[in-house]
Amino acid sequence: MSAPLGTPATGRVLDVQRLGVRFAVQDEVVSAVSNVSLTIDAGEIVGVVGESGCGKSTLAMAIMGLLGSTAHITGRVELLGRDLAGLTVEERRQVRGDRMSMIFQDPLTSLDPAFGVGDQVAETIRAHRTVTPAEARARAIGLLESVGIPAAATRYSDPPHRLSGGMRQRVVIATALANDPALLIADEPSTALDVTIQAQLLSLLRDQRDARGMAILLITHDLGVVAQLCDRVAVMYAGQLVETATVEQVFRAPRHPYTQALLAAQPSAGLARGSLRVIGGQVPDLSDPPPGCRFAPRCPLVRPECDTPPELLAAQPGHSVACWADPATHPGAAATASSTGAPRGAAA
Amino acid sequence: MSPRLRYVVHRLLATVPILLAMSLFVFLMIRLVPGDPVRTMLGFRATDENVATIRTALGLDQPLLDQYLSWLGGLMRLDLGQDFISKVPLTELLSERLPVTLELTFLAMGLALAIGIPAGVIAATRSKRTGRASTAFVVASISIPDFWLGIMLVLLFAGTFRLLPPSGYTPFAEDPVANLRYMILPILTLAVAEAAYILRTTRGAMEETLGTPFITFLRARGISERRIVYQHALRSAAVPIVTVVGIQLGVLLGGAIVVESLFALPGVGRMIVTGINQRNYPVVQAGVLAVATLFILLNLVTDLLYGALDPRLAEADA
Amino acid sequence: MTTAATTRSAPSHLTRLKRRTGGGEALVGFLLLGMLVFIAAGAPWIAPHDPEAIATGRVLGPPDLGHLFGSDALGRDVFSRVLYAFRVSLSVAIGSVILAALIGVPIGLIAGYRGGRVDAMLMRPLDLLLALPALLLAIALIAIIGPGALTVLVAAALIYVPILARVVRGSVMVTKQMPYVDAARARGVAERSVMIRHVLPNSVGPAVIQGTVLMGFAIQIEAALSFLGLGAQPPTPSLGVMLSDGRDVLTQAPWVEIFPGLAIAITVLALTLVGDGLRRRLDPRGMAR
Repeated sequence: MSAPLGTPATGRVLDVQRLGVRFAVQDEVVSAVSNVSLTIDAGEIVGVVGESGCGKSTLAMAIMGLLGSTAHITGRVELLGRDLAGLTVEERRQVRGDRMSMIFQDPLTSLDPAFGVGDQVAETIRAHRTVTPAEARARAIGLLESVGIPAAATRYSDPPHRLSGGMRQRVVIATALANDPALLIADEPSTALDVTIQAQLLSLLRDQRDARGMAILLITHDLGVVAQLCDRVAVMYAGQLVETATVEQVFRAPRHPYTQALLAAQPSAGLARGSLRVIGGQVPDLSDPPPGCRFAPRCPLVRPECDTPPELLAAQPGHSVACWADPATHPGAAATASSTGAPRGAAA
Repeated sequence: MSPRLRYVVHRLLATVPILLAMSLFVFLMIRLVPGDPVRTMLGFRATDENVATIRTALGLDQPLLDQYLSWLGGLMRLDLGQDFISKVPLTELLSERLPVTLELTFLAMGLALAIGIPAGVIAATRSKRTGRASTAFVVASISIPDFWLGIMLVLLFAGTFRLLPPSGYTPFAEDPVANLRYMILPILTLAVAEAAYILRTTRGAMEETLGTPFITFLRARGISERRIVYQHALRSAAVPIVTVVGIQLGVLLGGAIVVESLFALPGVGRMIVTGINQRNYPVVQAGVLAVATLFILLNLVTDLLYGALDPRLAEADA
Repeated sequence: MTTAATTRSAPSHLTRLKRRTGGGEALVGFLLLGMLVFIAAGAPWIAPHDPEAIATGRVLGPPDLGHLFGSDALGRDVFSRVLYAFRVSLSVAIGSVILAALIGVPIGLIAGYRGGRVDAMLMRPLDLLLALPALLLAIALIAIIGPGALTVLVAAALIYVPILARVVRGSVMVTKQMPYVDAARARGVAERSVMIRHVLPNSVGPAVIQGTVLMGFAIQIEAALSFLGLGAQPPTPSLGVMLSDGRDVLTQAPWVEIFPGLAIAITVLALTLVGDGLRRRLDPRGMAR
């Protein structure tokens, strides 16, 4: 049972081009993801960051091909050079769990409560490789040990509810990495866990990346996680990508007004009391979004051009931004408040 | 003691008071009849002498507690008395008739499971149209009185097509083929409504499970849809299915009584009904006792099955 | 920049009604049920013929304009007979559920509200009633009391008391945790008042649904018992008896058998639809069976 894609350890692993996802819900159409492009190379950890509801999970599910028939997907997703849309349903299934894997936020609900944890790892192996049950079991035990679960052989048949939250998430990671995928998508993997366990988990992910050379797409709303783990980061707002850069670039010199506001809104120990910066206005209704830049109604730099969607353009090597007001990508744009005064969203 | 074993013991012990209470009720039945039960039983043949004789023979002139204890004692020795009219020992009657009722009930439930579970899985996993069709089938089956369905089936198979006999019975041991020919229509009659309940439960449980996150994660790992449905989702549906089977066993036993009368099957149900019409109280008592005991024991079995299926239930209960 | 005009318009009356009743099918169920109750109540005026009128000239006559459901073995109009029998069946069904509610709801309310010893004391004997299969219990009761429509009503009510009590009890146990109950107590409202005026109205949802389900069962039980000769006795008309009589002439005059059965099926169907619709609106937790 071999996968339809090759297994290069170097080079471009994921290439997403202009991905759009629309949902038909009753008589409305919700535009959850719009014109998202990003790339990940082998060994890179790319974070997609944004607030709840910005579409980052939908993006991840669309890449994996796990959205139901209510989703209408446009654009192109290439994994290891092969267009995923060109695969049959069965071929896509073979790719999942083998060449690309995904883990979710809550490890307790990710695992089948009636099966032993070791069995669930072994199940993933046997779904994609022809091995004897004994071999699968041996490999599963090895995997569990490699993710830091002590005495894996004795705990093989334990049901998930017997393990702690952190242990469960390690099991989840073991099942995802069972067949050595080229890409791992992690959707808020540490959000449901205690802070101390979080740190352990993130370093586990980093160790696995170092050992296997795989690419990781990390979905999170937590900038701290991004800072700890990611090489590059993409900022999403209301289904659109507003900025992509290396972690250093984004934290040192964010270019997009939303990214700047996001960073400024982070509480930090040095701030004086009562000075939490909030972003005025509200996230747009995705069934009826603004026609151009979706941040426009809340943006202090809004101008007439913002009625057309801005392209994600490189302001510096490795640092792209989608903003009409950015001087590097749109020379001549004055990076000051528009003449119309207060952001439009305030009046709504 | 392990929690599982404790659960089993608990359940066994809990059954005893239920059986006792039920036996008390059955015992009291004849004594609760308004007026003089013996006179009612004898009807127009009642004279003061034979009323007194019969009353003594049945032990009705003893104090209540003595009556109950001696009756219980008789039960232990498997002596239930005699059929009032034919004088045949009741234990003998029951041993002839109980197998018929058992065959009917079990085969009907078995057929219902064999139809209902796969149908429920199909309804949960295929298109919206299959879903709606199955809902329509379920609602229709539940609404139709089962004995009316039975009569319609007789009209169809025995009347129009002349394929199967409308009534009658041959014991399985004598002639299996003839036995099944007689039993198919009664079994089918009961099985249709049961299958509807099982379909509905299976479908509901499957749909609920298929929406949970661990199913999404299974898909994310590329596990085949077939394995997801049959190995994972169906497992979760097992408990609600056992629940509904347990509930429906009572309904099925009741239905069996009616169906036996409809198809003239010599089972315990028909024995009870005939007994009532003849005012043959000992027979009625024995029949009610037998069916009620059967029901209580079957419920015990389903409870034990629960404990086996879902260890968490057993652990919580013990 | 102007936002595009919203594509949603105010919901139509039909949509609102659908939502009120819990779905399109439930609405159909309600209408059907209303019609059936109306027909049952108005049987004496709607029936075209005397249900007992024997007409030897019309023995086993097929359905036609004058006799919508045909005639039976004694030439009686099946349609009129079905109307009167249906009246009896529906009365028994409704009566049994109301009687069961009158007994079961207070028991469930007190058991659920008080909890502990009172709960155990009240529910244990009811659980014993559940130890017998329903129809068997009804038959046993009939064996004791004697056949008749009224007996069926009482027997069915007896079977339903534990079910309704259990449903109410479960619902009450959830409701009594609600903050507004504590608020009422904090205002100094007497316990009994709290129980009756605050907890009870908010707990009846699942019981109402269970009631519709039980009504459906009651109609079927009444028919089954009458079919066995244990229910309504002549001269009281009964759908079950008609179904039993119809067997004799099944091949010659199937309509005698078909229509009473259809009457039962349609009624139970209406009740099921109504029950399902109510379930969506009143019992999202699924406490009614």
